[in-house]
Amino acid sequence: MGVMRIGHVDLRVLDIDEALNHYVNILGMIETDRDAAGNVYLKGWDEWDQYSLILNPSDRAGMNSIAYKVEKDSDLDDFEKRIADWGIAVENVPAGTLHNCGRAIRFDLPSGHEMYLFAEKKFVGKSVGAINPDPWPEDIKGAGVHWLDHALLMCELNPEKGINKVEETTRFLREVLDFYLAEQVTAGPNGEIQAATWLFRTTTPHDIALVGGPRPGLHHLAFFLDEWNDVLKAADTMGRKGVKIDVTPQRHGITRGCTIYFFDPSGNRNETFAGLGYLAQPDMPPITWTEDQLWRGIFYHVGEEAGSFTSVYT
Amino acid sequence: MDTTGATARPRFQVTIEDSGNRFACAEGLPVLKAMTALGGGGIPSGCHGGGCGVCKVRVLEGAYRTAAMSRDHVSPEEEAGGVALACRLYPASDIRLRVLGRMRKAVAARRYGFV
Repeated sequence: MGVMRIGHVDLRVLDIDEALNHYVNILGMIETDRDAAGNVYLKGWDEWDQYSLILNPSDRAGMNSIAYKVEKDSDLDDFEKRIADWGIAVENVPAGTLHNCGRAIRFDLPSGHEMYLFAEKKFVGKSVGAINPDPWPEDIKGAGVHWLDHALLMCELNPEKGINKVEETTRFLREVLDFYLAEQVTAGPNGEIQAATWLFRTTTPHDIALVGGPRPGLHHLAFFLDEWNDVLKAADTMGRKGVKIDVTPQRHGITRGCTIYFFDPSGNRNETFAGLGYLAQPDMPPITWTEDQLWRGIFYHVGEEAGSFTSVYT
Repeated sequence: MDTTGATARPRFQVTIEDSGNRFACAEGLPVLKAMTALGGGGIPSGCHGGGCGVCKVRVLEGAYRTAAMSRDHVSPEEEAGGVALACRLYPASDIRLRVLGRMRKAVAARRYGFV
């Protein structure tokens, strides 16, 4: 019942050919469809639904919307009511509004990000199939990412004006969409400001993350890799191809993930994220990082801001 | 392997008016990439994809072309007036420019974690 996992992100790109080269040849995603408007649909080799990423040709970078998949069609009715009861306008959109998906509901998170929930999407299957499968496909390209793992959304945080969209959106995700809090950063004079959160519906530490910033936006999309050596090889591919890397391979304190941050050719930040972190469960006590150890949480080894983590996003 | 493709191509001088810094930029290389590859500074370095806007500059003198830049950061009017993102700016002669973009982190200490 309820939300299963991230379904897809609809991403704006400035040059579709450059974007496709990046997501197909460098990250190893597979093009599965195109539409009349010029959008291109991609999936990871380990995903079974038709797409997890929509590349939308645009004159701006950034995210149009994010979608999560629910288990049952009836979940959509339940969530529509709960979202409306919480005071957020929610729209029921017919099948096909989301490409090759069933009906969906659309609303804006308190942070302003557009979100969809849907229950059905066209099935195409994993590259290795479902009968006696090999552990990985032979024709893998570049980093060979398995799946779209999570997104980090920047939310407006301005305590002096009484604005904390991290706290508000976190509360909405927990109370209305039944997400669980894995980890949080607290800040401010008495640690009373919830400045960042990591929330889950699967058994991994995050399916969505929220970080406070001056304006809303997309911080990054993350793609899953098995383990540390895959992260190293992904970075080798990026070095070879001249991808702009923001933060070289290292460890997060928060979620324990092994990471690389880098940019797609339109400046949208990507992450390749390896390891399942730890078993996340509804009864797990949420982890808190205090402001003085915040950067140890983000980049565990250096304990300082690396790259342009907080200053650059789309 | 030379990922920049910068060997044996014409090189142009880029002058940052704010600091007087000068560096060489090979034909076919964006100004920001040439600057960071030489370990230089002066222009804020962000996404290198025309999306984040921190490397915004105004070209004061010289010939150049640009690749696609996010309209969130450079309007058509600005573009016509010589404003560009340095990561998408390819000199076709020696050029002189002024830095317009700023990295937020350089401006003030943070009071609430990330802001």
